[in-house]
Amino acid sequence: MRKKGLVNGVLAGLSILMFLVAFGMVFFYAPREATMGEVQRIFYFHVATAWVGFFGFFITFLGGAVYLATNDRRWDILAFSSAEIGLVFITMTLVTGMLWAKPAWGTYWTWEPRLTISAVQWLLYVAYIMLRGSVLSPEREARFAAVYGIAAFVTVPLSWFAIRWWRTIHPQIVSGEGMALTAKMTTTLLFSLATFTLMYVTLLRQRIQLEKTKDQLATLRLQHEQAGHSDL
Amino acid sequence: MIAVSQLTKSFGPRQALAGVDVRVAPGECVVLCGPNGAGKTTLLRILATLARPTSGTVRIAGLDPAKAGADVRQRIGFLSHRTLLYDDLTAEQNLAFYARMYAIPEPQARIDELLERVGLTARRHDLVRTFSRGMQQRLAVARAVLHRPAVVLLDEPYTGLDPLAADTLTALLADLTGEGCTLLLTSHNLQSDVTLNRRVVVLNRGRIVYDAPHTDASTFPALYRELVGGGAVSGQQSAFSRQPSAISNEHPASSIQLPGFLRHVWAIVGKDLAAELHTREIFSAMFVFAVLAMLIFSFALDLRGALAQAAAPGVLWATIAFAGTLGLSRSMAREQQTGGIEGLLLAPVDRAALFFGKALGNLALMLAVEVVLIPLAMVMFDVPLLRGGVLLTALLGTVGYAAVGTLLAAIAVNTRAREVMLPILLLPLLTPLLIAAVKATGALLDGAAWAEIGGWGQILVVYNLLIIAVALLTFGYVIEE
Repeated sequence: MRKKGLVNGVLAGLSILMFLVAFGMVFFYAPREATMGEVQRIFYFHVATAWVGFFGFFITFLGGAVYLATNDRRWDILAFSSAEIGLVFITMTLVTGMLWAKPAWGTYWTWEPRLTISAVQWLLYVAYIMLRGSVLSPEREARFAAVYGIAAFVTVPLSWFAIRWWRTIHPQIVSGEGMALTAKMTTTLLFSLATFTLMYVTLLRQRIQLEKTKDQLATLRLQHEQAGHSDL
Repeated sequence: MIAVSQLTKSFGPRQALAGVDVRVAPGECVVLCGPNGAGKTTLLRILATLARPTSGTVRIAGLDPAKAGADVRQRIGFLSHRTLLYDDLTAEQNLAFYARMYAIPEPQARIDELLERVGLTARRHDLVRTFSRGMQQRLAVARAVLHRPAVVLLDEPYTGLDPLAADTLTALLADLTGEGCTLLLTSHNLQSDVTLNRRVVVLNRGRIVYDAPHTDASTFPALYRELVGGGAVSGQQSAFSRQPSAISNEHPASSIQLPGFLRHVWAIVGKDLAAELHTREIFSAMFVFAVLAMLIFSFALDLRGALAQAAAPGVLWATIAFAGTLGLSRSMAREQQTGGIEGLLLAPVDRAALFFGKALGNLALMLAVEVVLIPLAMVMFDVPLLRGGVLLTALLGTVGYAAVGTLLAAIAVNTRAREVMLPILLLPLLTPLLIAAVKATGALLDGAAWAEIGGWGQILVVYNLLIIAVALLTFGYVIEE
């Protein structure tokens, strides 16, 4: 337990440190983008949060699939924890995207593919979290959530294609010819991605431990109740 | 016949069974007693293959339910707290449906015989919803023994029965025992004939605290109170008094053959449509809602010409989506109300057949609504929707909708907020399907041929394949306890 606490502390400290460095790089190291100006700097956070959100949902899909195969509660905890964190990061993606869209496109919201797919994902995983709170049996809750997490994840690529073919005005950062970024911009972006990934890992470990603690508490409560009954 | 060893079952932190060991010999009748929450129903549901144990082993006629579920289900009859009957089918239709699910030879003769034995011949053509509790329970017993199971599990079979109905049930159980059937039933009535002179197993807090014949009606209630109130008492060795059963265990192997699979699918579709024909509640609700939505959209938008043509696909698919949600929700709720899903799970039927049966029933209802809805949209928006390509798009879109909707309706019906949960779960998952269906319909209305709509048709096909694959792989996890 003490070792876990130490690892968590180190990870949290490192995350904060890396975030401060990333913050500095975004504002003082990365060059000013010629067309969009200062507002383009939000891109480094926007892309990084989107990456972590998508990655978090992939882990939810993976955890759910393994849970169904093994019936091991640990995988369910992983899936649930990752979905919650992924949802927080996708919310940040939506907010930063809207803040960026207003000066860039003249509107906070447009039904543009990346915004739309983020909104769809947000809705999917809000539904996932709501589902988890709406099932009485813990075992059923885990199974239902795993099935929904799998169905949600496998339809996302199709949603992406559908929306992209439908309409797009979003800038293409990565294309067949590589990234449309300078070297400093690329370095800043990669550092941001690493920083937010570390934050994800840190939060995930904490969230998993919280869920395990809740399980332990529930067991203790039950034992207490049973002891109380036997006293009567 | 039944062998349970070190069986445990946990629901989260709560342990319902904590290391149960019990053996029941062929032809034996055992009464399972215990206070509420002792684990009796959980034990019966595990034996009936409706629930999976957390650990331990279970053998029914030497078979492991985890590995030979269909074979075990063929040998088991289960009378649950719920009747597992369909309210909107007649007594005979209920038994005929289960006869098809169990592939009973000469079903009509068996149905006639059982209706006679439970005293319901005169009411065979009446809907179950018109039956009293006692009549429903008698019909439920007939359902449980319809396929001549070697083992019959009865959970509180006397609950809600008047003395006359209780006598009929007692006589029926005696007949079953006489035929060599193995019986395991739960009861709270310690002084009745049900428990007297039978082997009684008492469960308390998930453990067996007593296992011996009950011969003295005057002292047993006091002993029972001591057992369940004062913790564990050393269990006595059980007496296997009966000889092996005369009932054959050589049931036909129930490995999933295509004809059997299709027969099960067709039986479920037929059952759903027969229930719908009696009530017309799902179709009526979907139909009226769809017409209302179409009229409201038409009135509110009031478009003509090119604008109407541009809006028509979106309006049509939004209406199909909302009306479909309404129907799917009701279809699965009907299954859930009287425990129909449990009845299906008890039958030796592949879970994939259950999914296809339910999905095809839902598809049929949605298509029936679209038969009216598409011409209505054509009239209200003045667009030529009755084209081959548009109808093919409607069919593909509805197949995908019915597939994902059936899977999610089975989830939503088990949630607390079941009335609102289905659209919340379903609509985000439908995004690619709805976009593709709307865009394909729009392109076809603009004069494109089916071959020219390119990616939209592909998305519809891929979505259907993907979601059906996911549903087939996961439906069993959704409907099982």
